[in-house]
Amino acid sequence: MSATRDFSQDRTFLIDMTRCTGCRACQVACKQWNQMKAEKTVFFTGEGYQNPPAMSEYTLTKVKFRDYEKNGHNQFAFYKEMCMHCNEPACVSVCPVSAFIKTPEGPVVYDTKRCIGCRFCMVACPFGVPKYQWSKALPLVVKCTGCYSRLKAGLKPACAKACPSAISYGSRTDMIQEAKRRLAARPDRYFNKIYGLEEAGGTSVLYLTEQPFDDLGFKHVTKRPLPSLTWAALRFVPGVFLTMGGSLAFISWLTHRKDRLRKEEEAKKSATIQPEEGE
Amino acid sequence: MSAIASIKQEIKGYHMFIKTLMLLVAAGVLAAAARFIFGLGTTTNLSDVYPWGLWISFDVVTSVPLAAGAFVLGAVVHCFHIKKLEPLVRPAIVTGFLGYSLVCIGLILDLGQPQRGWHVFAYPNLHSPMFEVALCVMSYTTVACLEFLSPVCEKFGFHIPLRLLRTIEVPLIVLGAAIATLHQSTIGTFFLIAVDKLHNLWYNPLLPMLFWISAVFTGLAIVIVEAIMVHRYLKQPDETELLATLTKIIPWFLGIYLFIKVYTLFFLSARPLFDRPGLTILFLMEVVLGIIIPLIMFMSKRIRTDSRWQLRAASMVVFFGLVLNRFNVSMFGLIQKDQKIYYPSFLESVVTVGIIAAHILFFALIARYFPIFEHHPEEVDYSIPDRFHRIEKHPVTEKTI
Ligand code: SF4
Ligand code: SF4
Ligand code: SF4
Repeated sequence: MSATRDFSQDRTFLIDMTRCTGCRACQVACKQWNQMKAEKTVFFTGEGYQNPPAMSEYTLTKVKFRDYEKNGHNQFAFYKEMCMHCNEPACVSVCPVSAFIKTPEGPVVYDTKRCIGCRFCMVACPFGVPKYQWSKALPLVVKCTGCYSRLKAGLKPACAKACPSAISYGSRTDMIQEAKRRLAARPDRYFNKIYGLEEAGGTSVLYLTEQPFDDLGFKHVTKRPLPSLTWAALRFVPGVFLTMGGSLAFISWLTHRKDRLRKEEEAKKSATIQPEEGE
Repeated sequence: MSAIASIKQEIKGYHMFIKTLMLLVAAGVLAAAARFIFGLGTTTNLSDVYPWGLWISFDVVTSVPLAAGAFVLGAVVHCFHIKKLEPLVRPAIVTGFLGYSLVCIGLILDLGQPQRGWHVFAYPNLHSPMFEVALCVMSYTTVACLEFLSPVCEKFGFHIPLRLLRTIEVPLIVLGAAIATLHQSTIGTFFLIAVDKLHNLWYNPLLPMLFWISAVFTGLAIVIVEAIMVHRYLKQPDETELLATLTKIIPWFLGIYLFIKVYTLFFLSARPLFDRPGLTILFLMEVVLGIIIPLIMFMSKRIRTDSRWQLRAASMVVFFGLVLNRFNVSMFGLIQKDQKIYYPSFLESVVTVGIIAAHILFFALIARYFPIFEHHPEEVDYSIPDRFHRIEKHPVTEKTI
């Protein structure tokens, strides 16, 4: 992933958690649109009050509940978890069969027909997004598609459409501008950071919150685009191959030549001696 | 009918140990069948939190460097032309070939869609370390198989292919070493993407180089362990003296490895380093028991030349230095704070035990039926053949007369 393209027009979610009421309309809309099965869940198995406890093969997005104390009062914070649609996605770069694709419009989609099921994408994704169909004999990866099919049809993503208050959807530049405007207008209300602006080299999902992101369980993620980390090593591959092969070939040519020369020498000697002996 | 009877007869004559191995392999095959029938989710303890488990950590990430003896020794003997080590090459190639074949089996078991394995060629992604490793492992298995064909042809007296094989022997070994360098290091590259996941004790940008160096010294250590075991249990010649040459090479690589490891730890790794006591203990065990102590041992001449100490030091390198390192990087180091701990399921373990047993079993059987030990340099003509005619029984003796 050496060539970076322009991400400013990518379709981007701005999720303002201070405006989220925890209604989980997005969670339900996502499930309906993607026709995902319901999950049998047990309460209080996850990190908080949320249900189901985590994203899974049946749940592509989920609202996380966090309780905290503020001025002696118990408060709730909500956090919609979904694929971040990274600008330079780790999942795209590690997949050996290019099953993940970063579309020109922004969403990162997954081609079920290609995947060989190595699960490297799951190891690589810094946000822990791709999930696996552990219930199936020949499982596939599942993850939020940014509702690419709806986008193609000129519709908003199902979750953004269903959300009554917190999700804005538009070009990345516009969403960043809007987020900055809100931060500047109400500095008392917001924690001063846009999560997703720089995480993993920038993503197409941006968050604003009231609480520090660490406290809400947002993952700490490097600002460097992840593919550059492996590419830093992989780009040496042809060089290493040629150097290693070349030098070993040269060394063995040298050593074998020495051998051959010695043998020829010996052969010459015996050839000059033998006729004399024979006669 | 009589063929089956004679095979039965043959198997009856085997040692108890071999029979036990056969049972273990059979159990592994059954467990693998269960995995395909019931699916990964039900038969393994893998989950969304632990997408990679024992099969990746051992059957792939650890087995690949354990099979490195073939390429290291091949390069040492044929490229640097240290001919006296020749008797060790064939057993190492057999180990390499078996190791890689079993790695392929491990990978197929672990894939969710193994029937689509060929997609790697159909839709290659040059940016994926996994693509690189898949390609290298497949080509290396082919190369190792070709190298392994020599004793097979000798056994059945196929002279013309034998001539051919000997012609391409050196190019094959060079090719094998170059491919091995790539995938041994690229397995380290896998984990470079797991930034913020792999603990700082192991995560550093030189991981691929560390993986390659440790594969080199482990390859040599494995050759030592194997030669001594084979001498003890398969009544093969004692090679202590030859091994002493290898024990001279190992400390150099151990030393370089230790140096780079310490350097990366202090200058290239992110902090905090020692915030997780469990991981700190694992790290210290790996470095002290697997590198520093064997390094000191290999520096003393007495230990280098005594077969019992050779074995001890070499197996420490293999077990603590390598196996522990690979598990640390691919499993323990990836466990986040307050996470439920992964442990392999019964079936997963049976498969892995079966794979190890298969390796030992096939090695013992190949050693029994093919000329991999009786191959001594005095009887071999190293010159590249110029004609495709039958190889005489003792070409060298003929020449020296
Ligand atoms: S969040 Fe994970 S799955 Fe989504 S695009 Fe980024 S790396 Fe890929
Ligand atoms: S599991 Fe599938 S999508 Fe994920 S990296 Fe492997 S082949 Fe690609
Ligand atoms: S964008 Fe679509 S698939 Fe993704 S979370 Fe929203 S509704 Fe679900």
